[in-house]
Amino acid sequence: MIPREVVVVAEHVGGLLTDVTLEILAGAYEMARSVGWRVTCLILAEDPKPFQALPLAADRVVVVTDPLLGSPNPAAYARVLPHVVKDLSARLVVLGNTSLGIDLAGALSHDLGAPVVSGCVGLRAEGDRIIATSRLCGGKLLAQVEPPGELGIVLVMPGTFHRELGMRDAVPPLDIRSSPVPLDNLPVRFVELQEPKMGDVDVTKASVLIAAGRGVQSKENLVLLEALAKELGGAVCATRPVVDQGWLPRTRQVGRSGMTVKPRLYLALGVSGAPEHTEGMKASGLIVAVNKDPDAPIFDVAHYGATADLLELVPVLTEKIREAKGTQ
Amino acid sequence: MKIAVVLRQVPDVVEELVISDDGRSLSEDDVMYLTNEADDHALEEALVLKARAGAQVTAVSAGGDEAKEALATAVAKGADEAIHVAVPFEHRGDNARLASVLGPMMKSAGYDLILTGVWAADQMDAGLAGGLATQLSLPYVGGLVSMSLDPNGAHAVVRKEFPGGRLGVLEVSLPAVFGIQSAEQPPRYVPVSKVLAAKKALRVREQGEPPAVAAGVRASKLVKSGSEAKAEMLPGAVPQVAEAIVRILRERGIA
Repeated sequence: MIPREVVVVAEHVGGLLTDVTLEILAGAYEMARSVGWRVTCLILAEDPKPFQALPLAADRVVVVTDPLLGSPNPAAYARVLPHVVKDLSARLVVLGNTSLGIDLAGALSHDLGAPVVSGCVGLRAEGDRIIATSRLCGGKLLAQVEPPGELGIVLVMPGTFHRELGMRDAVPPLDIRSSPVPLDNLPVRFVELQEPKMGDVDVTKASVLIAAGRGVQSKENLVLLEALAKELGGAVCATRPVVDQGWLPRTRQVGRSGMTVKPRLYLALGVSGAPEHTEGMKASGLIVAVNKDPDAPIFDVAHYGATADLLELVPVLTEKIREAKGTQ
Repeated sequence: MKIAVVLRQVPDVVEELVISDDGRSLSEDDVMYLTNEADDHALEEALVLKARAGAQVTAVSAGGDEAKEALATAVAKGADEAIHVAVPFEHRGDNARLASVLGPMMKSAGYDLILTGVWAADQMDAGLAGGLATQLSLPYVGGLVSMSLDPNGAHAVVRKEFPGGRLGVLEVSLPAVFGIQSAEQPPRYVPVSKVLAAKKALRVREQGEPPAVAAGVRASKLVKSGSEAKAEMLPGAVPQVAEAIVRILRERGIA
């Protein structure tokens, strides 16, 4: 019997595969090995050179080239991918649950007539069945889903698998092809990719981060967190809702579309712990979470937690740290 | 310029979520709904565009009776037209089905822009916006944080979030479907009195029953996460918790 094919769709920036690409390769490879399937790492690029000698966790690497695949243009990817996936006779297509992956899901589902399971935090195969675990409702629920049919598409959450396992010792065979379809007249033109403009604080460099979640309730209350951060020699970062309210600049946002941080201490205050936030901070050295909701998913990733009102706790904590420093 | 905004009702995750006896869905009696946060941002973005260049904004709200409340709020905020699409409880969160319901209606209405949230809280499928775009054979880009339209309405220049704080700038031919991540400004607040007034005067158009379509993906099992909670919980009232945190930080040389 010909082994089933798992196609992992890579993402890259500046000639480097992204972390989530290595993570989903790791997950796909482990799953494929458990049932004797094969993994193809599919890279869409303008130039194949940066990808020619990578020891990826895959049975082969296919690079599809076209001048218009130099940037992550969802319309270009959406036009090329269905043709290539059909050519490769895939049983499963694995994408990151990322800005680009989410854009492609609807079009791939339609063009390939295949169901999509998004938000996956688990992936396994049993016989010919694919069983995905999808995280939803702010991380409070886990759904087990078996995509029906002969081809499934899954979007895997960043941080689900270990990126180190996305690389192996050997370089898999490489297959370079030009795009099977012309990419003229695309309805979407990629103009440019802008790097973030760093503001006064670079949260990726701070060793202590005080994270403001929705529980801070108002911009005025951030003063309390700033005072605590100052006492600990750290900086204040935030979740998306806080940034969306305009209480802190976008450069302070931690999570999927914001910054990924690994401070020594991450003190999460009023942070619910939605997956799109935790994927940007869960590698922190010490995570302490304070939330009024004892069921908040942040307690799943924190080392220590307390069910308390942050607005009451923070002034007391700041004072106690000040006292403690005075007695040193 | 005609803009449609799709608002979905999703479970409020601040409330207790109860799994029903079938072990694969939420208990209908216990779910509290609220408008999907990203959809709320999509409405705000539509209203921003309307204020900037003039537009007719149609709010399309999918769900049960609570979805009609969302329409009153949308009209109070500045939407010009309200359409309700009834979605039976068992089909909540099925974006493939919702796209197939909305597609034909939207095709005939001839919107220049269709906005909705890039993500819904109860989503486990391919999502609504991308599915709608394929139904309508329109271009789709999601994860947007701002957009500007050229004066003759032929193109939009959109800003799309990428990981690491990067922003992609893309030019998209209109009409198009966009998945909004967050609006250029926080969703506006509207006083309850205005919502009540809008509710009284509200003229809601009902969208008829959808054609039968294959359902999207379905959960074979639904469980609450967190049972494997890892955090060691610090007991006591505020002073005890503060002391415990200070002790932990001092042990690690952080404070």
